[in-house]
Amino acid sequence: MSVYSFYIFDRHTECIYTKRWTEHHAPPTSRPSATGALSNGAADVPVATRRAMKLEDDAKLIFGTIFSLRRMVRQLGGADDQFLSYRTGEYKLHYFETPTQLKLIMLTDMRVGNMRTVLYQIWATLYVEYVVKSPLAPTEHPRGVGVANELFEGGLERFIESMFSPQP
Amino acid sequence: MQVRTGVCGGARQPEASHPNRYRRRASPVRLHATGLRVSEVAAMVVFALLIINKAGGLIFNRTFAPGLQKLDSNDYLILAGTFHGIHAISRTISPAPPVQPLPGNRRPPTTGIESMESSHFRLTCFQTPTGVKFLLFTSPEQPNTDAVVRRCYEIYGEFVMKNPFYSLEMPVRVEKFDRALGAYLVRP
Repeated sequence: MSVYSFYIFDRHTECIYTKRWTEHHAPPTSRPSATGALSNGAADVPVATRRAMKLEDDAKLIFGTIFSLRRMVRQLGGADDQFLSYRTGEYKLHYFETPTQLKLIMLTDMRVGNMRTVLYQIWATLYVEYVVKSPLAPTEHPRGVGVANELFEGGLERFIESMFSPQP
Repeated sequence: MQVRTGVCGGARQPEASHPNRYRRRASPVRLHATGLRVSEVAAMVVFALLIINKAGGLIFNRTFAPGLQKLDSNDYLILAGTFHGIHAISRTISPAPPVQPLPGNRRPPTTGIESMESSHFRLTCFQTPTGVKFLLFTSPEQPNTDAVVRRCYEIYGEFVMKNPFYSLEMPVRVEKFDRALGAYLVRP
């Protein structure tokens, strides 16, 4: 019962906050490591930059996935239908959207139940309190400016720890 | 379908001193043979089945009960292609740490979307080892969607795969398949 990662996207479709609780491992079907017989381009890019690009790519992939799924759900269920979550064999993705089109996405273990109330809590008690009401944070958050302040991060860590106590 | 009537709660007459909220229901609650209320059983519904081939093209599409929006065939084709792509992406964004396989065993492949919840319906996706995807749209209360979709796969194997005139990966136009599916999924 664990949380793997947490993302916040704003209404301009930008990722304004990312938090991971696990190292990202490349899926088994991906390319071999750069020390193998690969093109020269991949060998020149340092590992740190590649990891950063992979994080960005992940966020973009996740946003694209939920955007398409949301559109599909609206098409099938009507304009008032809402996409809630999906589950694969390895993880479960929970989705919560506020009326201001702020999207909170959490990837957890498969066995976790409905996290909608948890995401609502994170938004109402942590994001609104520490980010929206902060006098130093700007109204818009291009590239995540102003979101990752200490109070929000600390509050989020404590909240998640209290919900999912780490397994021994 | 057996329907037996039961009275919700006891048969005592409410006393005059009790407040109104303890008044027992006047009419009996109708119960289904499975013990659930008839209204609950009526809500467990299979809306539609879609079959997508290995390349992402839609090869079968049928609605069994109303509940989803009416889409024309073009929209279903687009939906199938979109879902095929999303299924592949959901495999790559898996954040879970990979499970170490036992020595001598092959590492199990990562899976894509198996089930999706929305407020009006639930989508169950079953992917066969050959890459064919069965998408089942049901109401959120429907239990055992895994068993239902596997039964659909069995019916597909019986009437489509064993049909000598059916070409692989082509649209499914097999009358026996339609009839067997209807018998299994359409409620009288």
